[in-house]
Amino acid sequence: MTLLSVQNLRVTFETENGPVEAVRGVSFSLGRERLGIVGESGSGKTMTGRALLRLIRPPGRIEADAMIFDGQDLMQASERQMRGLRGRRIAMVMQDPKFSLNPVMTVGAQLTEGLRQRDRLGWDDARKRALAALEAVQIRDADRVMAAYPHELSGGMGQRVMIAMMLIPEPDLLIADEPTSALDVTVQAEVLSILDGLVRDRGMGLIFISHDLRLVARFCDRVLVMYKGRVVEELAAADLMAARHPYTRGLLNCLPRIGGARGPLPGLDRSGDWAE
Amino acid sequence: MSLIEVENLTVTFRANGRVVRAVEGVSLSVTAKESYGLVGESGSGKSTILRAICGLAPVSGGAIRIGGKTIPTPRGRAFARQVQMVFQDPYASLHPRHTIDRTLSEPLAIHGIGDSDARVMGALDDVGLPRNFRFRYPHQLSGGQRQRVAIARALMLEPGILLLDEPTSALDASVQAEVLNLLNRLRDERGLTFLMVSHDLAVIDHMCDRVLVMQNGRAVEELSREDLSGARMKTAYARSLFDASADRMLGDLEGTPA
Repeated sequence: MTLLSVQNLRVTFETENGPVEAVRGVSFSLGRERLGIVGESGSGKTMTGRALLRLIRPPGRIEADAMIFDGQDLMQASERQMRGLRGRRIAMVMQDPKFSLNPVMTVGAQLTEGLRQRDRLGWDDARKRALAALEAVQIRDADRVMAAYPHELSGGMGQRVMIAMMLIPEPDLLIADEPTSALDVTVQAEVLSILDGLVRDRGMGLIFISHDLRLVARFCDRVLVMYKGRVVEELAAADLMAARHPYTRGLLNCLPRIGGARGPLPGLDRSGDWAE
Repeated sequence: MSLIEVENLTVTFRANGRVVRAVEGVSLSVTAKESYGLVGESGSGKSTILRAICGLAPVSGGAIRIGGKTIPTPRGRAFARQVQMVFQDPYASLHPRHTIDRTLSEPLAIHGIGDSDARVMGALDDVGLPRNFRFRYPHQLSGGQRQRVAIARALMLEPGILLLDEPTSALDASVQAEVLNLLNRLRDERGLTFLMVSHDLAVIDHMCDRVLVMQNGRAVEELSREDLSGARMKTAYARSLFDASADRMLGDLEGTPA
């Protein structure tokens, strides 16, 4: 079953030196599965994620032949309809908890704000739901975290709070933009298993944006590899080691490996036609 | 004989009446021309050890010796000629309003070294940057290019020891490969000694001869490169780091039938 289908998505920014295309004709479809989007800085992976929620401000422009979410064309939707979808049906976890949580509100206030405004819950019910959400992401002393300000939390804790916040409305699609890149490897594994459980138990669709090919290979069902705004290769995560595209191969080869050779690491050859 | 000796180093900070023990009783020794790694999670105190050596964090107990001599406080010019540091974030560690030329020639001016023109050009050549980058500002460079400038700056005084604090964690994989290759080449050419911090075991394994695993400000286990790649660690914590390493995920993947 297709949850989201995107045809020929383009994101363009007008600059002094003419238009810059950050995303150049990306097409993909997503069921209730884990789709990874990998690429280096500037490959357009974050812009693709934001464009799905139409979260790009002018002078940025989003164009697509079609962007259908659960039968509704997001390109035709009014701003009012989009507001109804954002958070409730499609949620996005941003990269850095330091910049994405409100620094002058306690975690509890931020978690309950949506519940009270959107779902018209009372204080007590909102608080109960928020505590349950924090427990769902394996935060043990949820009461303390509710009363804390974002700067009093560690990176891993902040990241989990953001995931909890996005999961309260039980969205059908979660877009996670580098949700673990600020975390230590051991905490990373924990956050990934939380996301994994949600995909399995709730049948949620997940778009996992990352620069780390190894992580995506391990965690996702399918992988899109992006370079300069285009999808250069799409493949099942299990076949990643058999990737044929020179860019994907280059990305895999330039990573050091434990017990690998000590000689110079191979660089990334960007001389092919695909690098245009 | 070891070049860098850290003995029972303790670093404590006082914040709001609370005492934070960032490093507690850590000892290590690095021989000349060796590359030594420190690995651990955030808050394990690995960067604090480098900062304590440089005089950027207070030494509350223990001793730091370089070449057998206890290092002076404040560190002074002779120390700067011997030991230099490359920081994690090349976006934050270069002065935004100084040109590359000014960044590179400042240490020469402070130490009264002449011939700065030729030295700056030579430094740019060494780290593989075009000479016409000389009068650019940091914001006109990419992350990898900035890190090259930071490495060139650290090498201006021709120190024997480089302290590397996560030098590639802010960079893309392909750029990381270029910077690691550059560091290894410079180490070979100049006989440098590296003390390197990273949270990525694969990077440490590629760069270092020995590695110290740290947790909560304490040393957990020292491993040789062979022990690390052969998974011969004795403590549970070192093993959990090894198992969680992203590099291992790829290894597992290769083992599964496609």
